[in-house]
Amino acid sequence: MLNRFFQNIKRQEWYKQQIEHIEEIPAREPRYGKLDKPLPNILQNYLDREGIKLYSHQADAINSIRRGKNVIITTPTASGKTIAFNIPVFEALLKDNDATALYIYPTKALTNDQLHVLRTMERRMGIRPISNVYDGDTPQRARQRIRRTSRIILSNPYGLHQYLPWHHKWKSFFQHLKFIIIDEAHMYRGVFGSNVAMLVRRILRICEYYGSNPQFILSSATIANPEEHSRKLTGRDFEVISNDGSIRERKFFVFWNPPFVDSVKMVRRSPHQETKNLFVFHIKNGLQTICFTVSRQMAELITRWSRDELGNVRDRITTYRAGYLPEERREIERRLRTRELLGVVSTNALELGIDIGSLDAVIISGYPGTIISTWQQAGRAGRGYRDSLVTLIAFENPLDQYFMKHPDEFFGRPHEYAIIDLENPYIVMGHLMCASAELPVKEDDKKYFNLFEESVMALERQNMVRKTPNGWVYSGIARPVDIVNLNNISDKIVTIISDGKVLETMDLPKAYDEAHRGAVLLHQGETYLVEDLDLENLTARAVRRDISYYTEPRKTVDIRIINTEVHQKKRKGIDIEVGEVEVTEWYHSYVLRTCDRVIGKQSLDLPPLNFQTVGVWFTIPGDIEEKVRERGLDLEGGIHAIEHAMIAMTPLYAMCDRWDVGGISSPMHVDTQRPTIFIYDSYEGGVGISERIYDLFESLLRVTLRLIQDCGCDEGCPSCIYSPKCGNENRPLSKEAAIFILREIIDKIKLD
Amino acid sequence: MLDHIAKRLKDKAKWVREYEVIETEDGDMEMEGAVMPRYICASEYERAMRLKEQLLREYQDKSLEEVVPGETISNDRGACYYIQHKHDVSIQKADLEKSRQVICSNLKLIYGIGEVRERELKQQGYNTIYDLMRHPRWRDEAGKFLEAFESRDTRTLQDLLWRWFPRSDPLLLYLAGIHDKNDFIIFDIETMGLFGRPIILLGIARQKKERINTHQYLLRDIPDEPGALWEFISHLEENTALITFNGRSFDIPYVEERLGFYGLNASIERPHFDVLHFARRAFRGRVPDCRLVTLERYLFGIERKDDVPSTLVPEFYETYLKTRNPGLLIPIIEHNRQDLITLSRLFSRLYDVLEDA
Repeated sequence: MLNRFFQNIKRQEWYKQQIEHIEEIPAREPRYGKLDKPLPNILQNYLDREGIKLYSHQADAINSIRRGKNVIITTPTASGKTIAFNIPVFEALLKDNDATALYIYPTKALTNDQLHVLRTMERRMGIRPISNVYDGDTPQRARQRIRRTSRIILSNPYGLHQYLPWHHKWKSFFQHLKFIIIDEAHMYRGVFGSNVAMLVRRILRICEYYGSNPQFILSSATIANPEEHSRKLTGRDFEVISNDGSIRERKFFVFWNPPFVDSVKMVRRSPHQETKNLFVFHIKNGLQTICFTVSRQMAELITRWSRDELGNVRDRITTYRAGYLPEERREIERRLRTRELLGVVSTNALELGIDIGSLDAVIISGYPGTIISTWQQAGRAGRGYRDSLVTLIAFENPLDQYFMKHPDEFFGRPHEYAIIDLENPYIVMGHLMCASAELPVKEDDKKYFNLFEESVMALERQNMVRKTPNGWVYSGIARPVDIVNLNNISDKIVTIISDGKVLETMDLPKAYDEAHRGAVLLHQGETYLVEDLDLENLTARAVRRDISYYTEPRKTVDIRIINTEVHQKKRKGIDIEVGEVEVTEWYHSYVLRTCDRVIGKQSLDLPPLNFQTVGVWFTIPGDIEEKVRERGLDLEGGIHAIEHAMIAMTPLYAMCDRWDVGGISSPMHVDTQRPTIFIYDSYEGGVGISERIYDLFESLLRVTLRLIQDCGCDEGCPSCIYSPKCGNENRPLSKEAAIFILREIIDKIKLD
Repeated sequence: MLDHIAKRLKDKAKWVREYEVIETEDGDMEMEGAVMPRYICASEYERAMRLKEQLLREYQDKSLEEVVPGETISNDRGACYYIQHKHDVSIQKADLEKSRQVICSNLKLIYGIGEVRERELKQQGYNTIYDLMRHPRWRDEAGKFLEAFESRDTRTLQDLLWRWFPRSDPLLLYLAGIHDKNDFIIFDIETMGLFGRPIILLGIARQKKERINTHQYLLRDIPDEPGALWEFISHLEENTALITFNGRSFDIPYVEERLGFYGLNASIERPHFDVLHFARRAFRGRVPDCRLVTLERYLFGIERKDDVPSTLVPEFYETYLKTRNPGLLIPIIEHNRQDLITLSRLFSRLYDVLEDA
């Protein structure tokens, strides 16, 4: 069936050799496993009635969990992870009538989805419902009953963060807590993950107080370091279950590169245009398809554009993203399962385990930034015993283009590391402060928190905690859980108002990007024009308008070094340092774009955004600078190009999205007094990315050089040194100088 | 570095403080039904800040004992500062017979009897729940109810009443009649904010002979909190009934949270009369809002002088901790004491209003 589809596609007049590569991933027979000891009848009967025969990884997981081990299951999407932990949890809860379990999901949508799964299971086993969701949407009057009577509570980290100070109301739940299930554990990485790791320690501290010691079950997408990740997230040792025994059908993975539009092969056709074309083609050919985009804006736009070409099936595609009402989302999920919907354009919101069934095809519009996400998204394709199709559409940026030129690099590449930083003092101290409002903090709590003594002392010096005979007690004037945010250390929230109603809310940096005066905001397929962003009251006013363009802000960034105490190394005259920096972002203008070109530019008048973070930087030694000048090369263009290309390659080395790091290069930086290239964490306080770059600095330099010199272009192109997020419109850039400088630096390091 | 981070957390705490100063004319605020206002008007804020400056000057280098007469007391859980006063105020409430008369003539309190059936029963001559003891069908239920009444089981009766009536219903106020005056503990706390932080002052008022006594337990510093909580707990007896203003949502859960925080094993679950609910119903439309200070101004003509608004108590206490200037405690203690007195008068006034109606 797919053969005909490929033949068909190549006959289209718009087909211009876009297919760079087709990888065939062969089908695989299922492997089944055996339990060490039989299940109680009620559970075995349930499995038999459902026709479930346990795959080897499911049996392994159940065996380990029943032996009391902490387990992390890292098999792919749709391999049946949920049943592997629900079976032993129900077994334990049916045996011990007091036992309870806490299920933690990263989003409310997933929580509701999984409640449905658990309720169905309870019904089919013929037991009374014992599961409930407890989150911000839970009505006040139902809360006490759920806390007191539910045996399984499903919640999310943001909610738990708020509920922990009320632990005395949860006493009996915590007292009997036997399992903590953390689903989608790979989501808890970077800043967010480090915060959740601290939250888990706060939960464990409360469990200890009430005398329980829960067993952990984690499930995760495939990551490079499941054992380390689970240990860092929870502080416990784990068994890793990764040997997938589930059945797999044949899958074709296509690399699709938009064609050049000019004869000199400088500019490719818009990837959004290509995405829309291919998506429409899929739908017209009867392939039920999910199309993943990199932004909410683009998800909305691709749906709009596609509808214009889909005639009588225009209403059988839709957009899906965070920000929609739960009922709307559930309706979309249902219509996908029943195939009423032929296609959906989604942000990564559908990357997680929401049950929408499996589809015929997946289009990934732009490399999502991590191998993990790419495979999670690809896992949505594959129905029954039929072949399935995944297409990755490349953007013009260096990283996407790199994969197009080196598909083996993609398929051979290990999944990323999940970074959790247990020693980030910003994060640790915040949660220690929260803990001091939950139970008095004692010496013994240093087993939960690194940097314990110095952090407590610092909090005490600021009168945020007070030493008492019972321990350190929180004594600040605001609720600590309101001071500490889990996923975004800068926490000014802007409310977008249209026609007197709240349209949506977003944090301040996002509002600078999407809700400045003149910005076009998309919401549920409608376009809104932002008339005003009021920074004092943190509100933006938007009006509903039909607008055919969309907007992108332009900004410049300054950086200053605050201290260099973190790390420093010197290699034959190459100074590489990691330290605290302050970044100032100036949003000076924005451009108006249609799907394939820029149609205008407007200036902006916004105060700069400041934040402190951790950065890594290196200077160009005098002798290399000299040689560059002697050869008449452009030094400034060279270091600017290196900065772009390095940032583009950073996601390969650190668990981050390219948008998680920023960069600045200066031919004469005020603090170093040398030509300097900075790369820094885009999060206040730092997330550990810069430190990682520092550790892997030489490999990163080499792969950056390869990217630039292997690129077929003459003077630089979007595939190597052009950055899609450059605030200087990619000027100046010099490919030749970049290659020369990189070679010189690498030679110098080699000699070391 | 670490101090820098701790400082940042502290600055952020100021930023997320739970009230905002808004520019408006005094008394011109839209606060219908507001109890814990999130806003404080600029003039009130400035007045409080002036008071703070004045107190800081006046009581510099004075000791707590000099400024606030009282004594340090201690118990198993710690110590705290104790302040006692007598006031020529007395709690008024329905007496037992009156309560019996009003409550027991409401047949709807019997499970299974609604409007229509009550009317029918009354036409047949069953006027009170006592009469129902003669009714073949309702005898058992009536018996259970009367048993609760006779044994003065307020909790059970409250549950029965809540099944049919809103929490503000006057019938619930008549329940107070089955208690003795000295069963009541009028109760009000001052805190570092809205939950999750220490309670800095626990105040109670109790009837003794024809007067009420106020007992206030103050934290000289944060370590005193368990001791002060324990003093409060030691007032609770089996027959105690609590009277609060918004205690259902604030004072009671707050104390429970703090007991949980310190692992103090004590239950404060007692019959509870939350005056806010009754006051809202009785005075709605006659007062601009239902804050205690507003009610006392309209009902009793009291204008507080040198008062600290509730929302600024945490800031005053924080400054006290920093400067150790006991002057800053004066308005907090007086504010709390005035709240207790007003609360007891309000409780009594509600009963008068009922009787007049």
